[in-house]
Amino acid sequence: MTSDVGFIDPTASGGKARIALAARPMDLAGKTVGLLDNTKEQGTLILETIGNALRERYGVARVVIRSKEHYSKPATAALIDEMAKEAQVAIAAVGG
Amino acid sequence: MCSVHDTIEFEKRGIPATVIITQAFRKAAIFQFGSKGMEGHPYIELPHPISNLKPEEMKELTLRFVDQAVRQITA
Amino acid sequence: MEVAAAVDEFEFFLQKQWSDGLPVVTPTEARLQAMLKGTRRDPDELIGNVPPAMEPATVRSVATHALMAGCKPEYLPVVLGGLTLMLRDEFNMNGVQGTMHGVAPLMIVNGPHAQEIGLHGGNGCFGPCFRANATIGRAIRLMMLNLGGGIPGVASATIFATPMRYTACIAENTERRPWETLAVSKGYSGDDNVITCAMVESPRLCFDDVSQEPQRLLNGIADSMVAMGSWNMHARSDMVVAMGPQHASICAEARMSRADVHGRLCELAGRKVRDLKNGGNWRRERALGFPIKVDPDDDDCFIPAIKDPKDLQLIVAGGWGPCTAICHGWSGGSRAVHGRYEV
Repeated sequence: MTSDVGFIDPTASGGKARIALAARPMDLAGKTVGLLDNTKEQGTLILETIGNALRERYGVARVVIRSKEHYSKPATAALIDEMAKEAQVAIAAVGG
Repeated sequence: MCSVHDTIEFEKRGIPATVIITQAFRKAAIFQFGSKGMEGHPYIELPHPISNLKPEEMKELTLRFVDQAVRQITA
Repeated sequence: MEVAAAVDEFEFFLQKQWSDGLPVVTPTEARLQAMLKGTRRDPDELIGNVPPAMEPATVRSVATHALMAGCKPEYLPVVLGGLTLMLRDEFNMNGVQGTMHGVAPLMIVNGPHAQEIGLHGGNGCFGPCFRANATIGRAIRLMMLNLGGGIPGVASATIFATPMRYTACIAENTERRPWETLAVSKGYSGDDNVITCAMVESPRLCFDDVSQEPQRLLNGIADSMVAMGSWNMHARSDMVVAMGPQHASICAEARMSRADVHGRLCELAGRKVRDLKNGGNWRRERALGFPIKVDPDDDDCFIPAIKDPKDLQLIVAGGWGPCTAICHGWSGGSRAVHGRYEV
């Protein structure tokens, strides 16, 4: 971290090990979709709309909607684990 | 923001995921994906703001993005 | 220390994306070793990871940022203590960094160590001229920018930010204070070195050179605690009220205790639904989400600014004069934190 000009450069490296995308299924027919609602305004309506559309148009069998405690905090590991047991794909809303 | 974090947590558990954000948080979302090791992860970007949209308007806007969301979570 | 002629050390740091726009004290190994003498802790000890970028803050890296900010070694314990508190879950640093809101973590430091290092709580305490105030708060901000990535346009969507994002660290007024300190009111002893930290906006000022008794005075202060556009009215939110010593003495001379004033402000500060509906952030769904029961469909329902008495951080600070400073809070699920710090 000490540069060759004689002082320390504490600039954060940001070097993070790359996480691979999860393998995607060919389609959603017969699948269960997990929808994570962060409780921010419009989030519930957005996810309900998506859930209905996925069932009607893409053959999704089941939709599981869960809510977080607060929009600006990450979901607990327990909540993500619970959803991951039931769903094969997931959508989170609304960031921001 | 935290929905990005949650999306990554799903991916780490082998669950393909995407996140719906609004335009104002695009840079923050890109930064968060990158800083947490998933640079370039897809997302759905809605125009900002959405908080004052009436329910029918919100539904109509959402429906425009369903196909894109499906493409992001399927092969 | 020899610096290569081609590198201007000030420009080197001013061009960093995480620069706060002001020059830093160039961190050299010699200066870092001097700074580390301000703590007994192991330089490799991990304080925590700063969200959202989650870069690690060790005692060494905290000391480096403290030195860049212009801290003296004796300030380092406050910087270490402050960051430790801010990384607690309930403070929600991740949300704090990304929010559109213009809030900053204001540190209020009580105890003998704050006095020894010259942390100022008297006249001018929110402004320049006090090295401890200026540099301790700045050290925290430099870490939030560099280690956390809370940079506007990067991870931070802040609309305006706030001048408090340059620095936000004060003590209470120790010379003219009719009551116990904030820390003592929370159950600490007067000998404890304590930091309280709340996410708040810049102070707005309530001038009142007319009131000679508390009722009218506190009415006016309470009025400054509410606004249609203030998140305090639309969510559970912390607030800092820094009563100037002159205003505090009006209450104390009327035999009001600190707790009495605190309670009265909590009662007075609020608006009826009919007044809140006409502008600002009012939505009935937000009111339904309060941790207290209100009826958003009743125009006469009183919506308090302070939803939980713990959320009002009442202090005595500032110089002598007819003024109290009020800092509104954030809505994003951050709760004020407090704790002792090790010297």
